[in-house]
Amino acid sequence: MAEQYEKFKRMGAEVITVSTDTKFVQLAWQREEKMLKDVKYPMGSDPTGNLSRIFGVYDENTGLALRGTFIISPEGKLLNSEVNFYNMGRNIDELMRKFKANMYLATHVDEGCPAKWKEEGDKTLKPSAKMVGKVYEAYER
Amino acid sequence: MTEVCCGLRVGDEVPDFKLEIFDPTTGDFGEISLETLKANKKWTILFFYPAAFTFV
Repeated sequence: MAEQYEKFKRMGAEVITVSTDTKFVQLAWQREEKMLKDVKYPMGSDPTGNLSRIFGVYDENTGLALRGTFIISPEGKLLNSEVNFYNMGRNIDELMRKFKANMYLATHVDEGCPAKWKEEGDKTLKPSAKMVGKVYEAYER
Repeated sequence: MTEVCCGLRVGDEVPDFKLEIFDPTTGDFGEISLETLKANKKWTILFFYPAAFTFV
C-alpha cells in the first residue's frame, strides 16, 4: 500500500488505515518497522472499536478489527466491501481495480463492469432486455 | 446515530465519523472526518487491520 498510496491519492482517494490501537502505538510502529518507513497514508486509531463495529469488522472476542477494506464514494455511499480473516493479506492491485471500476461507474451509471474489467477502455456491459440470455454474445462482440 | 448490529452493507449511506490519526508525513497527530472528505469530493478507502506490529 505504501507504494500505491500516491496513485490512489492522485486519483482522488484518501486511504486511511485503521486499527484498534491507539495513535501512540501507530506512531511507534511506523517509526520502528522498516517496512513502513515510506508510509504516507494517515493511520487511524479506533480504540473504542466504534468505527470497526459500524463496518462489521470488530471482533468482540479479541478487541481487534478483521482485515476489512471499504470504498466510500464522495457522496458517502458504501460501494465496496471486502473482509479477510486475520491470516490472509490483501491484494492492492485488486483494490485498485475495484476503485477504478467504482470511479468509472460513477460517471457511467447505465453500464456494468464485468469480472475481467481492468481499466477505462475495457469492455463494459449495458444491461437491457436484448441482452437477457445473450451476455456471452454481448461480451464476445 | 442508530444502532448498527451487523455492519453496513454495500449501498448503505455511511454515517459521518471522526478518527484520530497519526500522520507520518508530518510526524504528528491529527483528526480526519468523513464530513471533511466528502466536502473535498474525496473518495475514502478504509483499510482495517487487526494490530500494529503485525503484517498488513
